[in-house]
Amino acid sequence: MGRALKRHHGETDAMTIRTAITALATTAGLAAPALAQEVAVITPYLAQPGTQFYVDGFTARADELGWEVNVIDTAGDVAAVISRMEDVVTQGVDAVVINVDPAQIGAGLQTAADAGIPVVGMDAGSDPLVAANVTSNGYAMAAETAVYVASRIGGEGNVVMFTFDPFPPVQVRGVIADAVFGNFPDIEVIDRITPDVADGGIADSRAQMEALLAANPEPGSIAAVWAAWDQPALGALQAIEAAGRADEGIVITGIDANPQAREAIAAGGNFEASVAQDFEGIGRTAADTVQRLLDGEEIVQKVIYVPANLITAANAAAAE
Amino acid sequence: MMQMARRFGGLAGMLAVIAFFAINLPETFLTPRNLLNISQQVSMLTVVAATMTVVMVMGDFDLSVGSMASLAGVVAAMLFTRDFSIGAALAASLAVGLAGGLFNGLMVSVVGILPFVATLATLTVFSGLAFLVSDGRTIFGRDIPEAFGAFARGGPVLGSVDERALVLPNLTLVAAVVVLLVWLVLEQTSYGRRLYAIGGNRDAARLAGLPVVGLRLSAFAFTGLGAALAGLMYASRVASANPTQGDGLMLTAIAAVFLGMTLTRDGQPRVLATLAGVVVLGVLDNGLTQMRVDSYVREVLVGAIILFAVGLSALGRRGLRRG
Repeated sequence: MGRALKRHHGETDAMTIRTAITALATTAGLAAPALAQEVAVITPYLAQPGTQFYVDGFTARADELGWEVNVIDTAGDVAAVISRMEDVVTQGVDAVVINVDPAQIGAGLQTAADAGIPVVGMDAGSDPLVAANVTSNGYAMAAETAVYVASRIGGEGNVVMFTFDPFPPVQVRGVIADAVFGNFPDIEVIDRITPDVADGGIADSRAQMEALLAANPEPGSIAAVWAAWDQPALGALQAIEAAGRADEGIVITGIDANPQAREAIAAGGNFEASVAQDFEGIGRTAADTVQRLLDGEEIVQKVIYVPANLITAANAAAAE
Repeated sequence: MMQMARRFGGLAGMLAVIAFFAINLPETFLTPRNLLNISQQVSMLTVVAATMTVVMVMGDFDLSVGSMASLAGVVAAMLFTRDFSIGAALAASLAVGLAGGLFNGLMVSVVGILPFVATLATLTVFSGLAFLVSDGRTIFGRDIPEAFGAFARGGPVLGSVDERALVLPNLTLVAAVVVLLVWLVLEQTSYGRRLYAIGGNRDAARLAGLPVVGLRLSAFAFTGLGAALAGLMYASRVASANPTQGDGLMLTAIAAVFLGMTLTRDGQPRVLATLAGVVVLGVLDNGLTQMRVDSYVREVLVGAIILFAVGLSALGRRGLRRG
């Protein structure tokens, strides 16, 4: 019925009428799903664990709201994201949720905008055509671990950084760590490594760390390893343990606090801290944001941050 | 009977796919806007598959086209960051494609390495070069000239539907021109007929005095150039370039050619049949998405349909031989 209205009266009218009917139904104590909203979630990155949690959080909230959700994974193909956006716009969904850099899918965003269909980003990035992007504050997360490292090593020593600048959300983390370490005159970043992530990043990070340990044999010559995400931190941990240098007090931090990282942190070894994004919270908040847009609200703050938590041995086991 | 299945089974299958979506998506599938969308969505694949047809005509194939597409995209984007003009960057990137294709041809025809091995190796080489050139980064935003990204979004306006302009996408036009050129080369020149002769029987072609080495070498130039062009189209569509973005084109392009081969009488690759194969793959993606079929189920279905079509055609061919 909603779609029939849309065809005859155009998007805005249909939306208003539908919202009004939904409100009536709600006040009458009836469930709303008779007018289920259709939302498409499109991402090239569904195979990545973080993305799955976003989508789980989103679909859980969408179920509560009684929506029909179509999750579309283009398996790494960004141009296909544009194509699938065109398709769901043609199909006539009520909203589109993306998990990809909006700068790369401008054509798809334009198609949705022309059809009056709102697009919400789930840790995607900002764009004038994205009504709102729901994400963690990457700068704040990187600051948490970079400052943890700096204070933990007393503001002096050699630090190894693992970064990944090709991926914008990880790139901003590196920027902050650069700034924090640069602000300590006695901290020297001796290497800024971009590991090969084809196999997840652990193996290559381990190999690169092994080479660095071999090049810096003196105990204490490496004070800390700051990694922009957990896999390089885990790789570095393996290298340090394999080299028999676990007792030198090299401090390792990651970001994301994946299960393997939490385990390592809880074990109380060199891997001391990570930051947990609230992926499910981002997914749920994205759904709430879609609801706000469907209710006709104009969202002023285009980036909606969901807080992240520092994970250390104190709370690694407890948290999740 | 088998001959009929072989001759028209593929075609009937393709029409069935289109009819299936037309029935299930009566209001959206066969609309001008959706058909134009599909034409744009498959434009890059069309270019790769059409030029892939040129080497597959000889019984060869080129596994390096996907990474060449990625490489061409990042080469152009890197030149953009160095303030080269769009024309110069595109020319350089197409030149890289041509050189890569000729190198493949050299390895296959002069050195005599199996195309599978030679182009598997250059796949890795081109991919590595793409990472080297781009430093592993995605090049996007202000580094990409406005006009370059705008090209893929634009095109001649055909009219207006629902107060929204109906545009014939530029990418569709590019793909159409490439198909036309490849068709002219393969079907209307003695060069093309010689390639088919090599595909029919390489030794016989050589004994008949055809310069087989030179012909095979030059044919690979088409795939290199086509891959580079597709990489540029991809980069324009996403207004950015990263060192892996074209990689997915290779397998789909080969699948499209095989799918097309089920349509031709003698089971040979023909560029118009390839185009039909591309369209079927594009239609499946478009239609199944609109029908909200899970994207993983969609992949399984697409693979199964390729197997079904090619399998049917293989059975038909066997029947022909027996009969």
